[in-house]
Amino acid sequence: MNTGTKQGRVLAPPVISDVDFQKFAEFFHRKTGIHFEPSKRYFVDKRLVERIQATGAENFRAWFVALRFGTDGAELQQLVNVMTVNETYFFRESYQFDCMVNHMLGEVAARKRPGGRIRIWSIPSSTGEEPYSIAIYLLERWALIEKYEVEILSSDIDTQVLQAAQRGIYSARSVAQLPQPYLKKYFTPCGKSESESGGEWRISRELVESVAFSHINLTDPADTRRFRDIDIVFCRNLLIYFDDLSRRVAAEAMFDTMAPGGFICLGHSESMSRMSSLFTMRRFPDAMVYQRPL
Amino acid sequence: MALKKATDSTGLRPVEDRDYTRDTDGLVAQLNDADISVRRWAARDLAAHPRAAAALCARLAQESDASVRAVLFSSAARLGGSGVVNALLPLLRSEDAGLRNGAIEVLAGLPDAVTPHIDRLLKDTDSDVRIFAVNLLGNLQHAQVPQWLAQVLLHEPAVNVVGAALEVLAEVGTPETLPALRSAAQRFADDAYIGFAVDLAIVRIGAP
Repeated sequence: MNTGTKQGRVLAPPVISDVDFQKFAEFFHRKTGIHFEPSKRYFVDKRLVERIQATGAENFRAWFVALRFGTDGAELQQLVNVMTVNETYFFRESYQFDCMVNHMLGEVAARKRPGGRIRIWSIPSSTGEEPYSIAIYLLERWALIEKYEVEILSSDIDTQVLQAAQRGIYSARSVAQLPQPYLKKYFTPCGKSESESGGEWRISRELVESVAFSHINLTDPADTRRFRDIDIVFCRNLLIYFDDLSRRVAAEAMFDTMAPGGFICLGHSESMSRMSSLFTMRRFPDAMVYQRPL
Repeated sequence: MALKKATDSTGLRPVEDRDYTRDTDGLVAQLNDADISVRRWAARDLAAHPRAAAALCARLAQESDASVRAVLFSSAARLGGSGVVNALLPLLRSEDAGLRNGAIEVLAGLPDAVTPHIDRLLKDTDSDVRIFAVNLLGNLQHAQVPQWLAQVLLHEPAVNVVGAALEVLAEVGTPETLPALRSAAQRFADDAYIGFAVDLAIVRIGAP
């Protein structure tokens, strides 16, 4: 275990008391919406100790005061990064895709003429797992897919992940949640056979061509201005990495890209009420989402 | 129908000539437009126009649409500075809770510009304003927050203001604030809530 040194002495790692944990948990929940139960003590304590040592603080209290009153928010951002799990794969948090095909699209379609256009925006695209998951869900699980013209837009600030998304090559881990019939229908092994593919899969060009990828900065009005009449936004596990003001600005920007009555889905631990008052909450059997008022 | 094949222009509205002029004076004028979306876009774009800070903040008291008001506050926060602070401080006296809370949220994010006003706010003749000042301290990123709150515990006559300060100190209190906590418990010895809140804050600070 890493220990700090001070004046040549090896210091014991800082101890996180029950009161410390409670103080941290309340603060972190207030700032991010993420709630840590006492059952998560091991996970949380380990990372708190890492941050205390990384910042050179003498103990939890000193570190917490610096965190609480730090003017640049840098330590809070570091904390968010270590306390959240970053992973993307196909059909991640699929209950929201269920909500899309079972409920949200029904309301959206009811406001469209037959054959009308429905717009869905996935941001960030990351390496494409989310927008392609949306495409597969629409093709396989939305009964009305042939009756409307659906546009899938997907954006990211990182040009490298955008390129990866358009290459469309995925690891076995990334596709592990896909039902086998979908894997066989929409992917081909990268090698001559599945056994020679090294576990990598290439998504069909038809799906790649069904997503319009773009490079944008969500907090830049000049970028988001181009997006209008979006019916469903998936913005999951992105805003948590923003500071409070940037989060508000991003939520307000997405509001203006959306059609009245449009829906927005956030990550399971994110809450729009902490970011912006513009949206109303909607509870569906599959998921809780947010809606731009009609 | 089904999935539309993506093209370069899929779903993206080309931005050619803007519908409305985007200079400072033009945008300020659009804050009074009859169209809510025009006002909201103007409010958003004014975040890049420091000269418009006063006009932006002045619009807050008149704006009836919640979405426009939200963006006005966000743009004020992005502009920052003493001009914004001076324009928002009067909103602490507003009867409109939305205006008050929006102002507090923005002010809390401008510690350098707001700290010269803290002492005066904590001495305001209106106890509600003093409570709002304590609420502001609860979110202010400034190392002096515990000391300001300690002064409230030592000298504030209104029990509700002291109660508000105790709530904040339960999170940010330090061992140096312990004497002030005990003083508050003594001054309001007959108030059960104050006693409870002091005890909780002392536990949270980790004092024996």
